[in-house]
Amino acid sequence: MGLKRFVLRRLVEIAVIFFVIMTVLFVLFRLAPGDPVSRMVDPSMTPEDARLLMESMGLDQPLWTQYLYYLKNVATGNMGVSFHYGEPVIDILMNRLPNTVLLFTTSILLSALLGVFLGKIAAWKRGQRTDTLLTIGALFCHTLFLPWLALIMIWFFAYRVGWFPITGMVSPDVWIDPGAGWLAKALDVLHHMALPLMTLILIHFGSYLLVMRSSMLDTLKDDYIITARAKGLEEKTIRDHHAAPNAALPVVTSVGLSLAFSINGGALTETVFTWPGIGRELVFSVSHSDYPLAQAAFLIIAIVVLVANLVVDVLYAYLDPRIRY
Amino acid sequence: MDGRNCWRRGVLLLLTAVMLTACHEKNTHHVLNIGLAEEPRTLNVWLASDANSRKVLSLIYQPLYVYDPDTLDLVPWLAESMPVYDAQTLSYSVTLREARWSDDTPFTSRDVAFTGSLIQSFKVPRYASDWDFIKRIETPDSRTVRFYLKQPMAAFLTGTLSTPIVQEKEWADFAEKAQTTEKPLTALVNHRMQHPVGTGPFTLEQWRRGAFLHLKRNPHFFGIGKTIGGRTLGPFVDDLVYTVFGTSDVAILALIKGDIDMLWWPIQPGYMADLSRRKEIRLFTNEKSALYFMGFNLRRPPFNDMALRRAVAYMIDKKFIVSRILQGQGTKMFSVVPEENRFWCCTDLPRYGDGMSRENRLKAAYQVLVDAGYSWAVPPVDAAGNLQAAREIRLPGGQPMKRFTILTPPADYDPHRATSGLMIQEWLRELGMPAYARPMAFSSMLEQIKGHHDFDAFILGYGHLGLDPDYVRNLFHSANDKSRGWNMSGYRNSAFDEMADRSISEMDPVKRQALVMEMQKLIARDLPYIPLYKPSVVEAVRRDRFEGWVEMLEGIGNIWSMCQVKPVSSDGA
Repeated sequence: MGLKRFVLRRLVEIAVIFFVIMTVLFVLFRLAPGDPVSRMVDPSMTPEDARLLMESMGLDQPLWTQYLYYLKNVATGNMGVSFHYGEPVIDILMNRLPNTVLLFTTSILLSALLGVFLGKIAAWKRGQRTDTLLTIGALFCHTLFLPWLALIMIWFFAYRVGWFPITGMVSPDVWIDPGAGWLAKALDVLHHMALPLMTLILIHFGSYLLVMRSSMLDTLKDDYIITARAKGLEEKTIRDHHAAPNAALPVVTSVGLSLAFSINGGALTETVFTWPGIGRELVFSVSHSDYPLAQAAFLIIAIVVLVANLVVDVLYAYLDPRIRY
Repeated sequence: MDGRNCWRRGVLLLLTAVMLTACHEKNTHHVLNIGLAEEPRTLNVWLASDANSRKVLSLIYQPLYVYDPDTLDLVPWLAESMPVYDAQTLSYSVTLREARWSDDTPFTSRDVAFTGSLIQSFKVPRYASDWDFIKRIETPDSRTVRFYLKQPMAAFLTGTLSTPIVQEKEWADFAEKAQTTEKPLTALVNHRMQHPVGTGPFTLEQWRRGAFLHLKRNPHFFGIGKTIGGRTLGPFVDDLVYTVFGTSDVAILALIKGDIDMLWWPIQPGYMADLSRRKEIRLFTNEKSALYFMGFNLRRPPFNDMALRRAVAYMIDKKFIVSRILQGQGTKMFSVVPEENRFWCCTDLPRYGDGMSRENRLKAAYQVLVDAGYSWAVPPVDAAGNLQAAREIRLPGGQPMKRFTILTPPADYDPHRATSGLMIQEWLRELGMPAYARPMAFSSMLEQIKGHHDFDAFILGYGHLGLDPDYVRNLFHSANDKSRGWNMSGYRNSAFDEMADRSISEMDPVKRQALVMEMQKLIARDLPYIPLYKPSVVEAVRRDRFEGWVEMLEGIGNIWSMCQVKPVSSDGA
């Protein structure tokens, strides 16, 4: 089967899976107990008020009608209006998405770079103290409980030492100052980003390190490494120019998928650091039964992950000539 | 330049930039930084139903009357004086204060009339029921509004006159367009407000979603320098900046560090010991207009028996709940109206088990049940009057009482209610009752209680009750005993219904007060709900930054505080 046919077949599969996801999401949210209105009412409101609220959200319509509206909206690219914010869902998500992508993409890339670099060293020094320390350190960091680590980081670096802001993405005093230019604002964002970034890197670099180490150990046994040594090349050259690039292939795959998943952010990280991303919004929309917002957020994540899987499969064919579809 | 040097320089530049940002000079304006738990939902006043939106919008849109912080009486706000009632024409006349909108246009009676007609024509939830009894609104001149009522309605004073007034100029065009849409109400509530125009002490400067919301002092605020309700108003701060914090731990660190000046967010008891030791932090403890209660399903046995409910009331040790579960941060409740709502709360009610020892409570409950015909395999009190482990309580008909459940929200949603449920389970077991507390996801619990009426007993609460006691009618009127109705217990008492119906149309506050008192007495006698407790609101501010906070029911976060807080340094303190 040629690549073209493979891609076409996968696109059809993606369309079917997407439709199933869309329907399952609709059903799941409606099956969940409670409704969006129950959290908005109090006994000073009359039953008529509650009915009007239901009506204003379109929840007075039969489920079947709601489903048809939903299908029509998705087909036309209109994800609906959030029950909670009263704004188009797409505006809310597009407002949050860049924040999530900025933090999580940066953290994944930096974690991968650090992981590849240290994994390479660990594999090269296999069995030595450096390898033991790096491997144990990677496992230790990888198993840390993220909210705990995040709070410790805030307590130490922001509260005790005062190097970084406690939370958030910007300092209001910088952003409300009419004299502050774009550079000051950009630096302010970087300043706020440092702590969540450090936390995420600490948590994630370990997995890349372990993957890289394991892949590098396999690579080092390959014939072309022996050939390189026989040619009298320097050890550093063999490690960095012959072994590492080939060993990094599994890391590339892992980074690719992680980048796709990064758009759902991390509810825990975003909550503790009050980072205004999509992860917090996702949790909020589910807990407040904001069906349009939750559905749209999950649908966007589903699309990105489905497409990323396809892209990774295709990329594999390019990166590894042995793979053919 | 080799690559390594380039890296070094880059990192050095970044670090310098970060340090410079950290040292960014603070604004010289008096900025009051406020920490919030969640971001405001919207700036559209017709959609705002959450507390955080109200914390912002209450400083922008103003009503005709507000509550006095000390007496909780209505105080003229946008109105100049108290409304004048004409019983003959069933109308109220309100004279307006001279005021201007934040866009410097005059506030007139047309704005009030427009607000009323907008609410009526769109049937805006939350406000529609406070306006649907208004027959017409006249504006004889720019500062007089006359409301003609269809029938006498007590909610006029506390509901209609407390509605935020919007500017006709700002809303008229949009309202007209919205009326032509398929769903006018949806169009209205989903209208995105970018720059709301109000008459309040502050106006919106900017809102960076997810980051902060900035309000600026409104130079056109009618209250500047005026004495209203015995208080000279400011505002004395230039800017209010609301910042959202994801967790209370981090918000409290920010308060201690000085990043925020006020946490507009109730402090949990676990933080209080630490905060109260810090001299730079001041804690305010105030009462909440709230009701946390145990409810019963009166539609089915065994709790359709008033004697059993009364025995349960005797067994509940409210003092223990307040002192141990709430760690002292709350008060016991005996009426469904909080005691701080002085005018409407009835204090002359039976206080089942209050002040009694465990032994006496058990004996009192036992006596109630014995008198009602209950029996036991082993009674909780033996023939000599000594307590013993009770076993197998039997209903008056002789059949054993079936296992029943007390539904509570889960501990991660509300630890107080979950733990209270467990304690009540244990106290009821002392009477030989097969009680089982069952924490349940909040939405499921509401569905089971309100939607399906499939429950035995439950513990729920309302954290923000209005000051008008009309909710007593809503909670117990038999007309609301329906799926998703407010009368969750299924209480049906024609005497109560009759009084409740009269109370809503009684315009004389003293006569209405008498009716509301009687309604509370009936509830305390029949016990469809046993009021348990209400938690206090503990709020924290930095002592060294601002002063002049005004305490009232629900805490210091109110319009009076925001019009009165001053920077500490301005007084030379």
